[in-house]
Amino acid sequence: MAAEASWTLEFPYRRSLGPVVGGFFTGLRDGKVLGSRTRDGRVLVPPLEYDPETGESVQDGLVEVAETGVVTGWAWVTEPMRKHPLDHAFAWALVKLDGADSSLLHALDAPREAVSTGARVRIRWAGERKGHITDIACFEQENS
Amino acid sequence: MTDQQTDEKVAFMPQMVNLEYRIVTSPIHQRFDKQMREGRIVGQKCPSCGLVFVPPKGFCPLCAIVMTEKDEVAVKDTATVTSFTVITPIQYQGQKEREEYVLANLILDGADSSIGQQRIEGIPHHDVRMGMRVKAVWATPEERAGEEGGGMRGWGLTAAVKHWEPSGEPDTPREQYQEHIL
Repeated sequence: MAAEASWTLEFPYRRSLGPVVGGFFTGLRDGKVLGSRTRDGRVLVPPLEYDPETGESVQDGLVEVAETGVVTGWAWVTEPMRKHPLDHAFAWALVKLDGADSSLLHALDAPREAVSTGARVRIRWAGERKGHITDIACFEQENS
Repeated sequence: MTDQQTDEKVAFMPQMVNLEYRIVTSPIHQRFDKQMREGRIVGQKCPSCGLVFVPPKGFCPLCAIVMTEKDEVAVKDTATVTSFTVITPIQYQGQKEREEYVLANLILDGADSSIGQQRIEGIPHHDVRMGMRVKAVWATPEERAGEEGGGMRGWGLTAAVKHWEPSGEPDTPREQYQEHIL
């Protein structure tokens, strides 16, 4: 027999999302980015069910923000791992979308020299959207 | 892309967690695999305490000394049931069992350690009992020659032996196996 074998243990979970995250994912499926509003009017993207500063519930309903935004932080990945969304070097970036007051973490597909805090980026949508964070394939440079 | 829009809200999300293992099979497991493919159940007899362990561990867990091929002894493919469970399968994803079945702990003739998770067939479940005598029903030599069907560490006891069935011998008296009940 072979001295080595591979074996996979799988846990196929199905998570219920609730009205806020469920609404966010419904929006992604429909090609829109939705955020939640805190009591004092800040817009959280990705939406939370509560204000992280006060613990208060957010207002009912979600609001749409733009699919363009600005990089607020990033880390360069020289060698992507097997389960990363891109198969070549990329950046993990925090992106504050226009109209939002918080940042969303996602992959940014851009040359190393184009990645910086303050860089303008926009969403590259996945070809098939099904109500998941992967409906955003990644971010790319706004003017690419 | 309006063609993807529906009125249905997204309420659930699949989250597949998978842990991918790379199993490196030890020389002891590889040798046991080879012997089981040949239809032989071979254990190791501790040169200090004299107890026979099946499957072989490469060491005596009581005396904490190394055991090797020179300590090998063949044991029989007949056994006594020391304990058992009737399992009613719940139909979760990936479950292949549909009917109740019996798994037992057995003490092989010639061994001092019991083996677990052994399937009992050929008898109504309510007739399975402690002390019952069983014999191995092996996978065919052709099946054992292949890789398909072996466990993740090869053809161990739960793969090379498809199941156990009553041998028809009189039950083993409790005094002879009571030290081995798990």
